[in-house]
This record gives sequence, C-alpha cells and structure tokens, in this order.
Amino acid sequence: MGAEKLTILVCDDSILARKQLKDVIYATAPDAEIFDAANGQEAVDKYKELNPDVIFLDIVMPVKDGITAVKEISEYDEDAEIIIVSSTGTQTQLKNAIEAGARDFIQKPFSATQVEKVLRSRIQGE
Amino acid sequence: MFAQFFGAYLLNKEAVTRDQLSEAIQKLSDARIKLGTLAMHQSLMTASEVDEVCFIQTREDKRFGEIAVSRGYLTDSQVDSLLKAQTPDYLLLGQNLVDIGALSNTDLERLMSEYQSETAIDDMSIENNDKSVELIHTFFKISGQHVNDETILYMNLLFNDLIRFVGSDFTPLAPVALEDYPIDFCVTQKVTGQMNIESRMDMGRDAAIQFASRYAKMDFSEFDEYVTASLEDFLNLHNGLFSVNMSNQASMELILEPPYEESGDLLMLPKNSFMLPVIFPFGTVSLILSFY
Repeated sequence: MGAEKLTILVCDDSILARKQLKDVIYATAPDAEIFDAANGQEAVDKYKELNPDVIFLDIVMPVKDGITAVKEISEYDEDAEIIIVSSTGTQTQLKNAIEAGARDFIQKPFSATQVEKVLRSRIQGE
Repeated sequence: MFAQFFGAYLLNKEAVTRDQLSEAIQKLSDARIKLGTLAMHQSLMTASEVDEVCFIQTREDKRFGEIAVSRGYLTDSQVDSLLKAQTPDYLLLGQNLVDIGALSNTDLERLMSEYQSETAIDDMSIENNDKSVELIHTFFKISGQHVNDETILYMNLLFNDLIRFVGSDFTPLAPVALEDYPIDFCVTQKVTGQMNIESRMDMGRDAAIQFASRYAKMDFSEFDEYVTASLEDFLNLHNGLFSVNMSNQASMELILEPPYEESGDLLMLPKNSFMLPVIFPFGTVSLILSFY
C-alpha cells in the first residue's frame, strides 16, 4: 500500500466478522486506521463523520440493512468506495448493491487473498 | 456424508450405543482402512473368510493380501486394485466399530447391506450431491417425518456446511416433530420470501464454546460475545448460501433477517417444526427448524 495513511470503515453486526475482516486488512495495510460500525445506520453516520477511503459493508444487519446504507452513503458521496461483504450473494442482491452504488462484492466466507485483492484494486486502481 | 448417516442408521437400529459410535468417530482421522473390510465391502470376500484370514494373521507373520491369495479368496490383481481403491468414510467408521468390539465383521457386513438396500444407493464408494440428497430423504423417511423437497435441499446444505465449517465428526439423530421447545441458549435466524424458515441452534454453553472455536478457527475458553457471534455467523452463512442456491436453481428469492440470541424461554413453534439433535464429541447441537 502507499505511504498515505488509509482510513477504512468496517461495518458488520457480527463482532467476529468485524475482527476477521480487520485482521486481514491490517495484514494488507498495517498503517491503516480502521473504524467499526455494527449496523447500517451507524455506517452512514460514521461515514459522514470520517469520510473513509474505503468502507466494507455487510447486507443483513439490524436497524438499517446494508443496501439502504449503500444508497444513503452514495447519495452523500458519489465517489464512495463501497465494498459489500455478504453471504447472501444472489444475482438480485448483487444487482441491488451495484445499482445502489457498491463498487465490489465479496462473498462470505471470504479469504484473505480476496479481501487483499479487492482492497488493492480500490486503493491503487490495480 | 455416508459416515454421518450410517452412524445415525446404526443408532436407530440399536446396533451400537452412542458412546461406542462416539469412540469410533473420534478415531476416524487416525484410522486407515484394512484390506479385509474393503474386500468385504466389494463382495470379494465374506465376513467369515475375513475373520479366518485375520485369525491366521495372529499366527503367521504375513500380510492380509498374501494369506487371502494363498487361500484362494482373492487374486493378486484384486489385491492390487483394493490397495489403490478410495476409502469411503462410512466403511472406516464400520471398521472402527469392529475394532472396538461394538460390532463383529458379520454384523457389519449385514448392516452395510441393509443400509445400502434401504437407501437404494447402488454404489456407496463414490459420494455426490444426488446421493447425499437421497440419504437425507431416507433419513427423514425412516424417522417417520414427511418433509418437502426444499427442506431436503436445506438439510443437505446444512449437513455439508457443518462438515465444511465445523467438522465431519458428528452423527445426526432422528428428527422429532415439535410444537414447543424449552431453550437453553440458542441463536435464531428467520428467512422470509417464497418460503419461510425459522432456523435455530440450541446447545449448552460448553458445547457452544467448542462449536465456535472450530467455526472461527480461534481458541475460545469462555462463553462470550465472540462465541455468540460465531454461532450467529454460522447460521447466517448457511442461510445465505441456501438463499444463493435457491436463487440460482429455483429462481426463488429469499430475504434473511439478522440473526439474534434467545434464552430461557419456552418457544412456541409454527406448524411443520422439528428438532434434529446432532452429536459431536464436544456435545449435542440441537437444530430446531420450521418450514412454512
């Protein structure tokens, strides 16, 4: 990763999924500043507060689901680098996520390589 | 998946006890198939011929194959092909049960034949998805539960996900129809859409720690939010994969609700609910499922 410090927001209602994702991100970008959100509403609020370089977002979450959060974040920032990480990777969900403004989709269970590849492509345009 | 369901069949027939089965399952990872078990499975030798060769082996320092060939039970080429054959897990399980004295070779030969006949699967040496579906169909039929095709597909994926993400060392017990259920600690996820599913996993706290440790590949020592999250993640992952399958194979769109915890209540369940206990070496995981 480049010298500039990355800010990354990880949003999943599962504390375990957040930890696993953060571990993989730290391995790829050790200097990154990573923040958490546990539902879609928190993700929208924290995005507006932090303006992160990348946001990883689950779909199935309480309070506000991931797709609604993607729409609201995209309306706020049309250049938002939103990556969906979900086990519900149906064609319909994928289409909904992309139409709402997501840039990429990672199917759970994810591998470290998948996350690293997507993160690099979003940050460096590789 | 033959090993898991052959184990369930043996329990159902009261051919072995839970403890014997558990001991045989725990030895699976270290076990290697014996030529005699394989020869019996392929109908090249009878149980009594295998017993005879095993007896001779206690008195002569010769390999099983050598003795079987010298007695005319096998040819050299049959021994070669048996040595190269792939070993089905259920055969290893059966062999372990013979090794610990729970079954004789004659019992095993008969039970394997009966099981094969009841499941109507000709060749149990190769596993595939169609055969797994057939096994689960038979499993529910033997237990007297009538379930639809979607339920069978759901259960097939669930057993495969248990094998993939938690471990293959389990035996499912017969499902029981339920109207209510006193929960200890359980995680729940509801799925709605063209079919409605309520999925629950109930287990004791010690079993939950072990289940979570295996699923998350982490070493949990106490029952905490990571353990709970692991169980919820497993359920969410499984239901997510099922929704993908149904979308791709049946153009059926399903919506997952976020998983949550329930404890200390008497659950009133919808119609068409059943509880299916799954025995792991670390404890029993009760799957409580409703399809409507």
